[in-house]
Amino acid sequence: MTRPETSRTGRREFLKIAAGAAGAAAATGPWISRNAQAKPTTIVFARESSYVKNFDEHFQKVLIPAYLKATGIKIDYQIQAAGGSAVPQLVSMVENKSGADLAWVQQEWLYRDALVDVSDIAEAVGKEQGGWYDEIKLLSVDNGKWKSVPQANIGQLMVYRKDWFDEAGIKQFPDTWDEFLEAGIKLKAKGHPYGMSMGHGFADNYSWLYPLLWSHGVTVMDKAGKKVALDSSETAKCVEYVKRLYKEACIEDCIGWLDPHNNKAFLTSQISCTNNAYSIMVSAKRDLPDMGKVIEHGLNPKGPHGRFHALVPVTHGVFAYGPDPQAAKDFLRWIMDPKQYRPWISSGDMYFAPYLHAFDKYPDWDIEPRVKPFQKVLETGKLTSWPAPANRAHGAVINRWIVIDMFTKACTGTPTKTAIAEAVTQIKQIYG
Amino acid sequence: MGRAVEASRAPALEARTYRPLRFGRLRELVERESVFSWLVLTPPLLFLLLFLGYPFFYGVYLSFFRREVTGPATFVGFGNFVTLANDPIFWQSVGNTVKFTGAATILKAIGGLGMALVMNQNFKFKAITRAMLLLPFIVPTVLSTVAWQWIYDPGLGLFNRLLVESGLTKTGFSWLGSPTMAMISVIIVNTWRGLPFFGISILAGLQTIPVEQHESATIDGAGTWDRFRHVTLPSLLPVILIVTTFSVILTFFDFQLVYVLTGGGPANSTHLMATYAYSLSMGAGQMGLGSAVALSMVPVLGLLLVLLTWYVRKD
Amino acid sequence: MVGELTWRKRLLGLWVPLSLFYVVALFPFTWMAATSLKTNAELYDPKANPLSIHHPSLVHYISLLQETNFLTWVGNTMLVAVVATGISLLLGTMLAYPLARMRFRGAPLLAITVAVTYLVPQSLLFVPMADLIGRLKLGNTLSAVMLTYPTLLVPFIAWLLMGYFKTVPKELEEQALIDGASRWRAMTRVILPLCMPGFISAGIFAFTLAQNEFLYALLFLSRSEVRTVPIGVVGELIRGDAFYWGQLMAGALLGSVPVALIYSFFVKYYVAGLTAGAVKG
Repeated sequence: MTRPETSRTGRREFLKIAAGAAGAAAATGPWISRNAQAKPTTIVFARESSYVKNFDEHFQKVLIPAYLKATGIKIDYQIQAAGGSAVPQLVSMVENKSGADLAWVQQEWLYRDALVDVSDIAEAVGKEQGGWYDEIKLLSVDNGKWKSVPQANIGQLMVYRKDWFDEAGIKQFPDTWDEFLEAGIKLKAKGHPYGMSMGHGFADNYSWLYPLLWSHGVTVMDKAGKKVALDSSETAKCVEYVKRLYKEACIEDCIGWLDPHNNKAFLTSQISCTNNAYSIMVSAKRDLPDMGKVIEHGLNPKGPHGRFHALVPVTHGVFAYGPDPQAAKDFLRWIMDPKQYRPWISSGDMYFAPYLHAFDKYPDWDIEPRVKPFQKVLETGKLTSWPAPANRAHGAVINRWIVIDMFTKACTGTPTKTAIAEAVTQIKQIYG
Repeated sequence: MGRAVEASRAPALEARTYRPLRFGRLRELVERESVFSWLVLTPPLLFLLLFLGYPFFYGVYLSFFRREVTGPATFVGFGNFVTLANDPIFWQSVGNTVKFTGAATILKAIGGLGMALVMNQNFKFKAITRAMLLLPFIVPTVLSTVAWQWIYDPGLGLFNRLLVESGLTKTGFSWLGSPTMAMISVIIVNTWRGLPFFGISILAGLQTIPVEQHESATIDGAGTWDRFRHVTLPSLLPVILIVTTFSVILTFFDFQLVYVLTGGGPANSTHLMATYAYSLSMGAGQMGLGSAVALSMVPVLGLLLVLLTWYVRKD
Repeated sequence: MVGELTWRKRLLGLWVPLSLFYVVALFPFTWMAATSLKTNAELYDPKANPLSIHHPSLVHYISLLQETNFLTWVGNTMLVAVVATGISLLLGTMLAYPLARMRFRGAPLLAITVAVTYLVPQSLLFVPMADLIGRLKLGNTLSAVMLTYPTLLVPFIAWLLMGYFKTVPKELEEQALIDGASRWRAMTRVILPLCMPGFISAGIFAFTLAQNEFLYALLFLSRSEVRTVPIGVVGELIRGDAFYWGQLMAGALLGSVPVALIYSFFVKYYVAGLTAGAVKG
């Protein structure tokens, strides 16, 4: 069976028709894959859909046309589904050496070898915009070469209902983990429990459980990434703490929560506090204005070894398999240029916070005072791999939720010692 | 029954003459039963060889290698399987898959049988009822599962609201929170989805049992229950067996439901072999290991099916 | 007295269980409908009754149809399901016919091989399948799923059809051959036309599986314009960590409508087809 080769114009016609009519009327369009062309007239850019719609829209309505005008190259913006399917698609692309030209390279430790060296871009951007936060270099720099250009951090903090906290007599957001537990017990007694995500998600669980460990001096691996550091007496203390927190302060459901569940629970007035990005506040302001007025953000409580936050990085990488990686690199350089970069960041209301010091005093931080605390995340934030290198083995531990399940197993009946021992054995096996 | 089918279909075939065919050596060859068969079989076999055979052998091959994303493939023999044998999450997924498949299939079979028996009576809106009751099976799993997420919500979900407001329990259950409840919840959704398939298929089977068999049994003094056991059930056995086999296979391989509803949690209590294989290959980038999990599904399923056939044949 | 007995018997034996089945099967749909017609404010209200709507609004439907490629997804899904079903019926027939009605060397071995293919999980195939699709440069095209879905459907269809083909008496074929037809003609003009109910039945089963498929679509179709309903809805109506529940439910309902309509036309054939095929099988 031969299929007619259609040109790009043919495909654009299809897109117009398909917008209204059923797909059957446009049978020629989707049959044909993108032609490999000598000089690219299209660059495919894959990114997970952004919570802040304006951010994606700014890209589609302002940046894409601007680039088209400047260079004649059209950017094909592929929005990937949220909730964990971006990584499988990226893995698929890398394995089959076809797909996007550049992307938000989530979990890049899985496929760094397939990314091109972007040190020239990263170093130029760092120089012109105040220098990079050191922590992010642990992710983007591999063997001295930058494999991705960090775009921004999605800040995660404690999100809470100020009105309910006030009612329970807690005027200031708890500063230490012990105070946090006490407050939770009081609130649960009043019918407003916490909802701390502990399921198989990727952000809202890691963003408080790992800082809890770190603030007690516990890390998963040592700095070299060779020895498992999780088996320490402080770990047992943390596990016992989480057990108490779960039983006495949390809603029963949260042990199975993926990333969207705490949003739903908060917006339906079932919980008083959770760890999340500021998406909950935005949703509330839009749909439930009364609730929106009483939402506040608090920093992660501190432990004996300090106060920590988890970074959720957004980095962009260019794939080596693409027909013209240099063209993709040029585009990447262009969007990181302050002329394009600053308005784009602003369109996201600082949901995406750049890892560049030039943005430390950025005026947009002051637009909504409740967003300002997210700046602190950059100062005290660590990658989930900290202090070890962010490599494949780390990725395996994250994607099999080994440390998360250590906590949840303890919460559902496994003795603390056993839960920790099992986790340590599994991690040892992964790191080999 | 066969005769009745014949009689209704035969009339159109009387005395047709065909244009005489040009007989050559080639034609004679093709007309031979074996040659004709293989000729007809060739296109589908080629298709399956390319699109099913190649991936299958490649998948099996992968499971004997250590293969990480963009990494080279290093032969490890049974290494992956040894790793899995020592992996508690793997064994949990095996147990979960067997529990899930077993419980859901039994519930679907019983429920389906009940549904078929009820629908086998005469009533007015029969046709539309058949279509309506099939809806759970028709709607894409992903979409109905998203709805079930909300139905299971601890505060606003339908179940807990009903339970609390009717006074049966004080706070309702944590449907997706406690490990035991999560597995039950997943089984419920799968049962809800698959029950109509059993129902409609068994109904088809019921409608083929000749009325005479029931009548003669009644004349012989058999009561309703006896009739059911000795007339209905034996005739239904072939249908039930086929439908159950299909269902066991599809349920055993199920991926979407757990992927959307729980992601395998809490604490891996709902991780199925299919979701674990996926998270190993595509999440952790360990493709050899993921393929090994997937390959392990085949003997486990085979065992289940053997047990099933043996159990049914016993009666 | 007899009249009363039968009335009560009918109530208990028919109406009560039937209503029970109706409620169990359909209650999620009523919830989906209610949710899709509520505004977000009402939806998140913890005190509201899940099934009642105070301020019905079509806002979710409107934004679903206007701001997403929903209609494109529906079109894609239908197209893919129809084509995949067609290919599968064709290949399935070619596979099932000789195995069911002809004697030839290697038949038993082949039958076993075909039977074993049912036991191959998608989980084992998706990594190599992605590789194959990549090599054929079919990524992000509907052809990718149109060609891979039959690998899931053909084994089941072949099995269903084999059972059905066996019910047609050999005499018909023999008669046609005596009358001068070639085997090919006998197959296509005589036997197969009699099997329409079987085809419809197998076709509906295949169609259901095809439009329900998720994993391959997730991996191969990442551009919005080529997505099918399951992945389009899940992919684009979940942004970051927020589910757009109202639109999701509207999409779920609208996505079910075409399929339900098709079913209501064909369900009696489905039953008839299973009758002959399954019972004899």
